[in-house]
This record gives sequence, structure tokens and C-alpha cells, in this order.
Amino acid sequence: MKFLGPIGLGTWSYVAIGAALLAVTAYIIKMRRRRFEVPFSQLWKRVLEQKDANALWKQLKRLISLLFVLAILGLVLFAALDPTLGAVDRKARSVVILLDASASMKAMDGNDKGTQSRIDAAKAKAKRLVDGMGGGDLAMVMRVDGQATPMSRFTSDAPMLDKIIDGIAASDTPADLPRALGAAADALRDRPNPLVVIVSDGAFPQTQLGQVTWTPDPKNLAAIDLSGIDVRFVPVGKRSDNVGIIAFNVRRYIANKAAYEVFIEIQNFGQEPAHRELTLYNGQTAVDTRQLDLAPGQHIRQIYEKIPGGEDNRLRAALRPLDVAGGSDPFALDDTAYALLPARKKQKVLMVTQDNLFLEGALLVYDNIEPFKVSPTEYAAKPSISDGMDVVVFDDYTPDVLPSASLIMFHPTGPTSPIAVRPGEMMDPAFTEVDANHPVMRWVTLADVHTDKTEVFLPDPKKGETTLAYSVTDSIIAAKRDGKRKIVAFGFSLPAAGRDSATDLPMKVAFPMLLVNALDWFAGDQADLLTTYETGRRERVPLDGAGAANQADLTAPDGAVTKTPVIDGLATFYASRVGYYDLAAKAPDGKPIASMTLAANLASPTESDIAPSATLTLAGKKLEAPEAFAITHSQKLWIYLVLLALGLIVLEWVTYHRRITV
Amino acid sequence: MVVAKQVTSKANRAADRSHLFDERFLKTLEHLHMVSRKVFAGNLRAERRTRKVGSGIEFADHRTYARGDDFRYIDWNLYGRLDKLLLRLFEEEEDLHIYILIDVSDSMSIGQPLPKLHYAMQVGAALTYVGLANLDRVSIIPFGDRLTDRLPLSRGKNRIFRVFDFLQKCPIGGKTELAECMKDFVTQNKRRGLAVVISDFYDPTGFEQGINTLRYYKFEPFVLQVYDLREASPKLHGDLALVDCETGDTREVTVSKSLLEAYEREHEKYCKELEAYCTKYALPFFRTHTSIPFDELVLRIFRSGGFLR
Repeated sequence: MKFLGPIGLGTWSYVAIGAALLAVTAYIIKMRRRRFEVPFSQLWKRVLEQKDANALWKQLKRLISLLFVLAILGLVLFAALDPTLGAVDRKARSVVILLDASASMKAMDGNDKGTQSRIDAAKAKAKRLVDGMGGGDLAMVMRVDGQATPMSRFTSDAPMLDKIIDGIAASDTPADLPRALGAAADALRDRPNPLVVIVSDGAFPQTQLGQVTWTPDPKNLAAIDLSGIDVRFVPVGKRSDNVGIIAFNVRRYIANKAAYEVFIEIQNFGQEPAHRELTLYNGQTAVDTRQLDLAPGQHIRQIYEKIPGGEDNRLRAALRPLDVAGGSDPFALDDTAYALLPARKKQKVLMVTQDNLFLEGALLVYDNIEPFKVSPTEYAAKPSISDGMDVVVFDDYTPDVLPSASLIMFHPTGPTSPIAVRPGEMMDPAFTEVDANHPVMRWVTLADVHTDKTEVFLPDPKKGETTLAYSVTDSIIAAKRDGKRKIVAFGFSLPAAGRDSATDLPMKVAFPMLLVNALDWFAGDQADLLTTYETGRRERVPLDGAGAANQADLTAPDGAVTKTPVIDGLATFYASRVGYYDLAAKAPDGKPIASMTLAANLASPTESDIAPSATLTLAGKKLEAPEAFAITHSQKLWIYLVLLALGLIVLEWVTYHRRITV
Repeated sequence: MVVAKQVTSKANRAADRSHLFDERFLKTLEHLHMVSRKVFAGNLRAERRTRKVGSGIEFADHRTYARGDDFRYIDWNLYGRLDKLLLRLFEEEEDLHIYILIDVSDSMSIGQPLPKLHYAMQVGAALTYVGLANLDRVSIIPFGDRLTDRLPLSRGKNRIFRVFDFLQKCPIGGKTELAECMKDFVTQNKRRGLAVVISDFYDPTGFEQGINTLRYYKFEPFVLQVYDLREASPKLHGDLALVDCETGDTREVTVSKSLLEAYEREHEKYCKELEAYCTKYALPFFRTHTSIPFDELVLRIFRSGGFLR
């Protein structure tokens, strides 16, 4: 037994002696009694003479009363010393329990029967650790999944830690062990006897296990410095026979957006052959079902070509274990994957041009648009003709008032140009640089394009304006995002009657590509726009039209709504669950201005490889089990002492008022 | 001092006797007198016969003539028949002397809501009234540690107001010394009679000697013990210093339930001792507590026939 109270034993002794003396003195000094007048004290005398025969018992009762008081005093003073039972001889430790709550912890192999998940087994082991803490030990619980989340402060309150552990649930994200170890190391800095206990299935990629160092290394700043920290490992999990979908993607054909192509990759992580049925769903409709037989460790890539578009743009791939040998699967999370088909829409395009065959020819071959044509004169007479159009193409004509539709402008001039132009034209420009990352410039090469002269744009990034093609430092093709409207402006004219040598761009392959890319960009239908993301990764997703908003609502598959920041039209997206997410931005007045749906999948071969590891080796050091916890047990006694003292007080009160101890 | 105040307040309460004999009390007395006449019709006469043979009118006996006897009382009819000189004897009629001895010691000042002293005085006054109304001679003698005063023998119910006045003004207080007081009483009163002793009989030296003195001097003791319910069953608890109101003796006790029960038993035992003593010597004995209305007590006394014959 140890005494952990704030009072020193010397001081305590003085206080105890003083209190005992006071109590004894109180019993020795003559009690001041209430006087009462009686008519005939002889009667009382006779009674008391009889009672005096019991004088010894009377004295004893008084002694019992004194002993009661001394016992109560002793108990209270003893409680003040904070006596603690248990192995607290060693120095108090600062413990961070890293509880793995990654996707693989959902595997149902926490026990032999398969009725307990790994996370439940891990929680039980973590609680056993907490309950076995010594009296001076302080512990913090940290949840480890795609993020490292401290769930408590350092505390010795075991019941509170148990409650916190009970509340932890596994997420659908891969574990980020280096991040968790870094956070634990930071939390343990300058604390005595630091100890990290990893309660996990040990299913971490080797790259993560190597990102730590056991000795301070000033040159390797990226490594997690675990010098001076005792790191232990508590393994959970038993089975490794998992088959999962590790990749699921879908895309529309560029030429035929009515059809799409699906790619699914499946792997058997077990050591035995596996048999599964793979079903592809479009919405609730099964599109294809096929049976798969996978050898141990085998990858299978399935490609579904030219699938006609259905009503729903939501696709789902599901693996179902067959009821044969090798058909069971302890990890269901990666048996389903989700994807979204990019939205398909036929755009209305109005060409304002004087019969430019190059332009008309290029647009007419694109079957995803519905083209219309007017002359600049007709447009000037009736600008409302552009109402209802998705895109307006101005060919060498700049109207006084720009329509609200997205624009492609060739040779805009004057103050009404959507992007400011520098006075004076530039002669014989050369395309020296293009912004290959912009969707409009995808697969476009302008190196051999000739132009006789061009306007030079003065794009203002603050207005969402950016340069797509430079002539040295001058902007000659620019783009602008103005709310929902997007604009692509070319500084030069297309060849036309009387201006045959204006540019040879229409003769190049790049010209139709530029137009198609621009139209796809306007439609939000970018071939490189991903709608399927991995869980546990933070992504920045372009949210069309959300330029005015600084945050958006993210609705998770379970209906939980969280706020996510939007910066420059890019929303931050972090998925902790697999399934479909809805991302919606609102204007300050509460009006919806942009929304999109995203799909999130585990898509992590590392997490799908649920094979548990009995040992864990971090940067070449094999982690031991925290055996010290197994024998550590402590018990605070003060509360029991105080309760006992209270019980004695009640007993003394009752016996006094029942005239037993008086 | 709280105790001093309590004592003073009790003494003052007992000393204040102005309200004892009000109009209502008088009416009650008259009622008692009427009832006593009904109950004891034929027995209660203005006179009380004594065993003394004397000059009365009611024949008692014959005896042989002796020289010197009055010739007028010779029964000549018997002489004619028996040829013997026999003398006719008559019962002599005389007034009854009633002595009402009221204990006025300090212990009688205790009692709730009525001090025992007041109760004793009311009972004493009632008995006195009945005695006066029956043309007996009645005297009232308060006593404590001595005979403090006396109301001389009076006769006729018109003297009752003097009785009231006396009882309201007579000095009270002191210890109870029954033996000494009774010795003084028999010395001062040569004429025998009924001696009604109204007291709590809380005498540290005992009650026997005092009553025996009355018996030895041919008085007819009539014992009336008055007590208060609270002194028989006190409601006490805790650590107390019990102070004897007469002697000032102090006893420190821690009152428990068992102690209270023992005290109650002891009090009852003391009262029974007094009763047993009276029974043994065929003395009329009544025990009453102050909660019983005094007129009810007086009627009970009448019905028992011990007070007047």
C-alpha cells in the first residue's frame, strides 16, 4: 500500500495526534448539563443507586462512544493520506493508447466464433490496459484511422477512459499510423516514462512502418522521432481470408457520352482459393452478374465496355461469397464499391458568326450539342435570342452586353471584352506555353500554330481569370470563371472571308479538341473529373458555381451533415465512410448555388489485406507486448474509508439517540 | 440564570392564589354540598354522635346504679320488674372537629398546568365548606417544615370567605418535615377530631412517623396524596442535572428510556407504600393527580364514606 495524498506523513502525524487529544479531552472534561427541578430527588437517588450496579457497563458504554469518535477520526485522517492498494512501486507512466479504428478493424474475427469484430476485441484489450493502470499512471486514448483523434486528456480516471473506449467505432478509412505516432510523440513530449501502446491488427503498409526513427535524426525531418518512448503492441484479429474490390471506376466515352465503361479490380488476399459472385448495379438494377474464382493472392481486373447509360447515374459493384468452400468473408466493407457516372447533358450552342465554316464544321461533328446560328447583325438586333442557350460563341464580334450563358469568344475587343485586353494588337505571336492542367487545354498542342496578330489579355486572378496560352509572357488565350458562367477567349480571329491567313488553328487537330474541351468544361463534364474517391484521404473537389460560398454542407451516407470549407470554388472532401456523399453550397442568403454527388470507396489494398500481424516491427524494432500492465492493479481506498466513517457516524448517532451509548 | 428564572417563575405561579376561589368555585362548592346531602341523607346530620356516654337524648345502655349517681336517670320501670336499680345511659352529642392540614412546602409548588398546592387548597376549601355547612368545627393548618399559620376552629358556612382569605394569604414554601409538623399539631390541638392531611408526602425522612403521631394521639388521620402526572412520568431525555426543589440537592443523570421506566416504577412503589401503610391501619386514603377535577375527587371522597359518617 502506498500513500499518495498531498499531506506529508509528518504533518499528518501531528494532525492525527492533535485530533485524538481533542477528542479524548472532549470526553474527559465535565459535560455542562441542563438543570431540571424535581420535587423529590430521593426517588431519583433510589433509581440511580440501582443503576449504579451497572456502573462498569456504563463506563464501558462511554468508552465505546469515545472509541467510536476515535475510529471516525482515524478513518477520515487515514483517507486524507489517499492510501492506494496495488503495484505502484514503479514510477508513474504517461501512456498513450493508440486504438486502431481503421476499416480493417471491422473484420469479424475478434474471436474464434466470428461473432466479435476486431474493434470490439481491441476495445476490450484497451479497457483491460486502462483498468490495470497503476495509481500514478496517466493515460490518453487516441483513435487511429485516416486521422489521429485524441479522445481524452491524460487522466488516471479509469472509468472515464473505459467509457471513452466504449464509444469508439471503426471507420471506413485506412489507418495512418505515422500520423498517430507523431501525435502520440507530441503528446508525450516532456512527460515522465512515456509509453505508447498500439492496439491494432497490425495491418499497416511497410511504408508507414518505416516512417519512424528511434534515435533523433536532424537530417530526416519527415521521420517520426520516437526516441525515449517505449512503444508496445497488442495484436488483435485472427483471419486473413478476404476478397475485396480494390478499384472501381467508371467513365463515359468521349465520343459517345451515352455509353460508359466500368473498371473493377478484385483481389483475393487469402491463402486459399475463393469463390465470389460479382454483380454490377445501376441504381437498383443489376446490369451484370458473373462468378469469379480466385486463386490465392490473385488479382482480377474486370472491364465492362459500352454499357448503355441507364436512368440512374449511381453504380454499385457487390461481391457475394458463394455458399461453397472458400466462400466466407470476414470483412464485408470492401465487398461493395460505389461509383458515379458523370452527368450527361446536350448543350444548346448559339454561334454568332458570318458563316464561318471552320467553326460550324468543328461544332457540327460534336453530337453532344444542339447548334444554332445567327449573324452578328441579327444578334445585335435581338440579343434575347441567346436566352435559353447554354453556350454562345462569338466569332470576331463583341456585343455591347454579354449574355449570361457561357461564352467562347474569338478576338474580343473593346471595353465589353469579358477579359480586359491591352490596347494595341500583338503581331506574329508564338504559342510558347500552355496551361496543360486546365481542362480546356487537355490533350491540346499549339506549338505549331501560326497566328498573324492577336489581342493580348490582361487576366485578373481575383476575378477568376486565368491564362491558358502565352506568347512568352503575354496572354493570348484566357479563361474566366464567373459564378456558374465560364468563358474562354481567344485573342485572335478565325480565318474568314478576306482574312484567310488570320490563323491556321482550324487546320490543326487542336481546334476541335479545344472546342470540345471548352464545351465539356462548361458542362462540368470533365473527363478527368473524379467522382469516386478513396476514404481517409483529404481531397479538393471543384464545386461548380460555388465561387461565392466559403463553405458547403457535406451529407454522409449515414445522413450526418458536416460543414466543409470551400476555397476558390474547391471544396474540401474527406470521406470516413464508404457510400455516396452529397456536397451542397449555399449563397449567403441561403439559396442553393451548387451541388454535386460524390462516391467514396475503401479502395485500399492495404486495408483489404486484413491478415493480422502477431508482431509489429517499427523501423527495424520489434515491439513487445506491454506485459507490465497485465500484473498492475491499483485500488483507491479513500472513498471506502470515508463511507465507513459516515457509517460509523450514523451508527453513533443512532446509538446515542437510542440512549445505548450514553 | 435560566434555572433561577424557572424556579422563580414556579414559586410566583404557586404564590399567586388570587384566582383560586372565584365565583365558579363557589358554585361548585354549593353543588357539592347539595350532592353530599342527597348521597348521605339520614347519615348526615348537624351533629355527630360520639361514643361518649353523656347527656344526650338518645338511649345508649343501662348500667348498675352506684352511689352518687343522679336519681333522675334511674329506670324505675326496670326496678319494678326486676327489683334492681339500673341507670339509663344516653349518648352524648358533640361537635365534630375537622383539621385540614395542607402541605405548602416547595414540592407542592410544582405541577402543570395547576400547581399541586392550588389543587390541595381547592380540595381543602371544598372539604372545609362541607364541614362548615354541617355545623362541624373546621380548622385549616398549613404546614411545611413547621406549622406556619392556622385558621382557628370555625363553624357555619358563612365562615367560608374567611377560609378563602386565609388560604390565599397564608405563607408557603420550605421543606417537608411531616413528623415535626404533626408533633407540633397534636401538641397544639388537644381536642381530638378528623385530621385530613393533604400532601404529596415527599418527605425525605418518610411519612410514617408523621401519620403515626396523629394515630397515637387519637386523631383520625385522613390521608389525601396529591401528585402531578409529569412527576410520575417525566418527559425527560439527555444529560441533565436534577435539582431537588426543597433541599437543593443536585444529581447528574443521563436520562435514558430504561432510567425513566425505573423512575416511574419507583414512584409507583412509593405511592403504593403509602397506600399499604394506610390500609394496614385502616386509614382512609386517597391518591389523586392534579388532572382530576377537584370536585370529582371530593365526591369520590364522600362516596367512600370515609370523610363524614
